[in-house]
Amino acid sequence: MTTAWLLRQRSIPDLGIDFAAVSPGRVAGLTADELARTALPLGRETVELGELFEVVARGGDGPELRIEGDCRRLHGIGRGMDGGRIVVDGPVGDYLGAEMTAGEIRVDGDAGLLAACALAGGRIEIGGDVGDFAASSLPGATDGMRGGVLVVRGDAGARFGDRMRRGTAVVHGAVGDFLASRMVAGTIAVGAAVGEHPAFGMRRGTLVFAGDKPRVPDTFSPTAHDIGVFWALLARSLAPFGGAFDGLGGRLPGRVVGDLAVDGKGEWLLPA
Amino acid sequence: MAEPIIDNGVVIDDTFAEAFPMKATRLLITAFDANWAANAAVAMTGFATSVIACGCEAGIERTLSPDETPDGRPGVSVLIFAMSGKELAKQVERRVGQCVLTCPTTAIFAGLDDGEPIALGRNLRFFGDGWQISKMIDGKRYWRVPVMDGEFVAEETTPVVKGVGGGNLLILGRDTASALAAAEAGVAAMRRVPNVIMPFPGGVVRSGSKVGSKYPALMASTNDAFCPALTPLAKKTELTDEVRCVMEIVIDGLTDADVAAATRAGMAAIVGRGSAAGVVRISAGNYGGKLGPFHFHLHRLHGGEGGT
Repeated sequence: MTTAWLLRQRSIPDLGIDFAAVSPGRVAGLTADELARTALPLGRETVELGELFEVVARGGDGPELRIEGDCRRLHGIGRGMDGGRIVVDGPVGDYLGAEMTAGEIRVDGDAGLLAACALAGGRIEIGGDVGDFAASSLPGATDGMRGGVLVVRGDAGARFGDRMRRGTAVVHGAVGDFLASRMVAGTIAVGAAVGEHPAFGMRRGTLVFAGDKPRVPDTFSPTAHDIGVFWALLARSLAPFGGAFDGLGGRLPGRVVGDLAVDGKGEWLLPA
Repeated sequence: MAEPIIDNGVVIDDTFAEAFPMKATRLLITAFDANWAANAAVAMTGFATSVIACGCEAGIERTLSPDETPDGRPGVSVLIFAMSGKELAKQVERRVGQCVLTCPTTAIFAGLDDGEPIALGRNLRFFGDGWQISKMIDGKRYWRVPVMDGEFVAEETTPVVKGVGGGNLLILGRDTASALAAAEAGVAAMRRVPNVIMPFPGGVVRSGSKVGSKYPALMASTNDAFCPALTPLAKKTELTDEVRCVMEIVIDGLTDADVAAATRAGMAAIVGRGSAAGVVRISAGNYGGKLGPFHFHLHRLHGGEGGT
């Protein structure tokens, strides 16, 4: 049984395509022919996967899907995924890894809107930039990212981590406006600049600003107690992400809490 | 009893220690410095010599250097044993709540990787009166409870494993000084063995007990066969006239192999000092092998074999 597939792009579709159905677990048991004939929605029509991609069987130690090409019109790659591995060599569309519960996604390129929204488990690593509403909630939903790990090597757009509830999200580059708005819990670490209005309506959770220190809003207040134990645990956990997050243990942070406008117990950690 | 072994002038009885299954967990206490970690660990493992009346048996396994602890501070590793998981959970909560939470600068972490989890910080968090903060880090939940020196950090749960309690070694000496010195040497050697504690004061117990009593209300009473005061009086004595003092080392370990290793290390240390140091015999306590499933035969251990 083939468990690992390489999809080599033949053509870029005219419209956006919902790619959620093509998960490593679901295609693991198929033949190359069955996989090539998988129908994908294209507007009001469908298109066979084989028209868009050359299907190549590969050896692997578990369910894996490797995609090569410009995938910006493929939305929902890895959406709802519950195991296995997806590797994309190129940029991807919206909803990357949304509602994923387990497994691993690696994208060597940019990702569109709503990446890792409602992520519940597993690990997503994006080599390039990510659009707005990453690590947030599905549109209209009240819960955002609730588990797992999201790593963005480049920059992130606005509303990163909106309504986030659990898990760890790390951005090596800059983030846009309204970072961690309405955040409920979890950890977000940022390695560079931060946009306007960070942590607007933040209730709980932890923000680590390893790069630029944003201006602290009036609705946050400093605390002066010793958080050395917690910081040691968190810094050790962030160190493997490298870059600005390596060596945080020696930079005991300042701490502010808020958003007091919502009776918040969220914290910003501002390493020295 | 078969032929005894005589090594370095010390007689090793052909008998065995009988030990019992227990439930155990390991806790790591860290603090601002080694002194405060030790203060918490000593308090937490106090009054924990025997499950007969303490609820658990607990002791300091060893001190931990900063590079061995989760938060990079000096620490102490503690082992706690109880007769059931439920009782262990009760004892952990009480002892951590009263002796670690209260002790300046401390934090507490689980020291085992696998096992059925029981509450560690899960219930103590309510001391925070709503100000406590939960934090998931790498799949483990920690509680941060505001206290007057900052915050008390406690891991949510600690795994419980099956342990072995009641391994023992009896040291029969010519006098108090020699029996005590031999016991101290034995305990020192055993403390270098991982995964074990010697829960009695200084690792040594002088009031070894037998099951039952002439008084119906008591379930245990003095081990008259090993009391030098009763050598000419008791119906059955294990002592000869030259034995005037007996000390016992009780050993609890995470596995029977750990208890065996500690017993072997203790015996080697005591035998190594020789009969010239005042030790006449080494023996062990058992109940005829009917009560406990773990038997640590002294001759086999002395010969380099395992216990049961």
